[in-house]
Amino acid sequence: MSGAVPSRAEVLSLFRSLLRTAARFTDYNIREYARRRAIDGFRQRRGLSDPSSVAAAFSDGKSQLEIARRQAVVYSVYAPRVKSVMEVKTV
Amino acid sequence: MLLWRSVPSWARLSANALAPTNQQQHRATTCPVSPSPCWPAHPFPRALPDRLAAPLSPRRLFPSPNPIYPRANPPLRLLVLSPLPLPMAAAKHLAARVLRAHLLLPALRRPLSTAAAAAAEPPPAAADDLVTMKGVRISGRPLYLDMQATTPVDPRVLDAMLPFYLSRYGNPHSRTHLYGWESEAAVEAAREQVAAIIGANPKEVFFTSGATESNNVSVKGVMHFYRDKKRHVVTTQTEHKCVLDSCRHLQQEGFEVTYLPVRKDGLVDVDRLADAIRPDTGLVSVMAVNNEIGVVQPIAEIGRICKEKGVLFHTDAAQAVGKIPIDVDKMNIGLMSISGHKIYGPKGVGALYLRRRPRVRVEPQMSGGGQERGVRSGTVPTPLVVGMGAACELAMKEMEYDTKRITALQERLLNGVTARLDGVVVNGSIEHRYSGNLNLSFAYVEGESLLMGLKEVAVSSGSACTSASLEPSYVLRALGVEEDMAHTSIRFGIGRFTTEAEIDRAVELTVKQVEKLREMSPLYEMVKEGIDIKNIQWAQH
Repeated sequence: MSGAVPSRAEVLSLFRSLLRTAARFTDYNIREYARRRAIDGFRQRRGLSDPSSVAAAFSDGKSQLEIARRQAVVYSVYAPRVKSVMEVKTV
Repeated sequence: MLLWRSVPSWARLSANALAPTNQQQHRATTCPVSPSPCWPAHPFPRALPDRLAAPLSPRRLFPSPNPIYPRANPPLRLLVLSPLPLPMAAAKHLAARVLRAHLLLPALRRPLSTAAAAAAEPPPAAADDLVTMKGVRISGRPLYLDMQATTPVDPRVLDAMLPFYLSRYGNPHSRTHLYGWESEAAVEAAREQVAAIIGANPKEVFFTSGATESNNVSVKGVMHFYRDKKRHVVTTQTEHKCVLDSCRHLQQEGFEVTYLPVRKDGLVDVDRLADAIRPDTGLVSVMAVNNEIGVVQPIAEIGRICKEKGVLFHTDAAQAVGKIPIDVDKMNIGLMSISGHKIYGPKGVGALYLRRRPRVRVEPQMSGGGQERGVRSGTVPTPLVVGMGAACELAMKEMEYDTKRITALQERLLNGVTARLDGVVVNGSIEHRYSGNLNLSFAYVEGESLLMGLKEVAVSSGSACTSASLEPSYVLRALGVEEDMAHTSIRFGIGRFTTEAEIDRAVELTVKQVEKLREMSPLYEMVKEGIDIKNIQWAQH
């Protein structure tokens, strides 16, 4: 399964899922990090042409998506009552 | 307890009072830190705790209410009218019954809560989302810039750890069932991950409870093993307290220790180190990255010297692993301490690297069932160890990305502060520094008031281990920083999860607070007028 080369649509769908999952984190720092890391990770691998490395990167991305999904749930269940100072709207 | 500041300067008996050569000699052989205040060296005779010595005293029966956490249920008042003084054993028994009754009665009124819930949050604030702790009210959780004290656990590390708390909870030393086998496999996989990041063989990695334990085993264990032939240890004055305290312990046992001074930029003089090594030197211990000032020592050079002289080289790499590239073979390291919670792993776990070729022998500090090849007995905590392994693997993958980003953030912080303030001093060398650690001193500002005003930023002044005492940090003292500058030093710790917005907010808050304090400071007014503070003749009132 990991040997299958993903199509452009699949890659874009993975990217969008990662960004959507990143936005669901309740912790400010983790949320920003997940979003930033996903964008930078895709940007870094943009020039990959070799099919096996593309497939490896894609499967790596999918496993990271699974991890992010699980952890978004865990973080939301244990979210502290008070948010970070960066998220509090100051007048 | 005597406040350091209340003692006038002329009465402070310190090494500074001695003649310069005597002072250097004094500092080279005296441990820079005072003994750790927890337990005295000889525990007996120990005073009995209050609940045993005076179980029925009025103070215990009618305690004054705590203003911050008033009790929801008033305590049980128990009046015992006894004509005879109760003997010790009966008093203890009675105290136990009082305690049990006290616990049961509230339990009938309130549902039982778990220890976790009891220990977690402060009491909920009345109106909006405010956090009130220790008399301070802030609108949200502070932004975290104290990465040298500890780091948040990376979600990928937590994901690796959770199965070992939920279903795979076996003891890795159980050889007879699946639970044990899978735990052992996980521990060995983690060992390989830790070994990979330092360039070692997995057989050379031993898991401990943290870098403090690893340092203790390295310093005390090595010297105790070679106690017949080797009686001397060489270390620096800026080491972590656990190394310095272990060296003090060795001094009390009769070993000799040389505490090398450091230059003004925090780096140790390699030639002086080479001179300090004697034929009976058993260990040289120099930390790779300092936790307070972030200075990176020339480990490769020191390792080369130690190899030439045939001395064991130990480095406390707790702040260095995963942040700067470390290779135990290239740097000729014989022993190394690694900490889990400094690299986005869990707290309570660390590792010790012991070289096999040539073999480094240590006397174990933990006696027991012979786990970890007899070096460290005790059940290996599988979830923590798996977390540490995952953290090390992540650190290896992300080191380049993180370093680039953290360096950019450090520049942003430093430029932001120095563009709007003068009199800002960076403690420690700027070139040989780990970029995630920035220790700044602000002139003409009082340190504690600065920290009080920075409540929305979680920073530290001095290391977490010494923040309980009022003494200026021994590391800054070793750098030759003057006392007033040492008191205003702030350590900003930048990490993987820090954002640009947080850095900008921290800069804003720091600059505002420093400006506010300097506005109020008459000393600063005089400096602005051009008066040289050091040459003032103060009038006698």
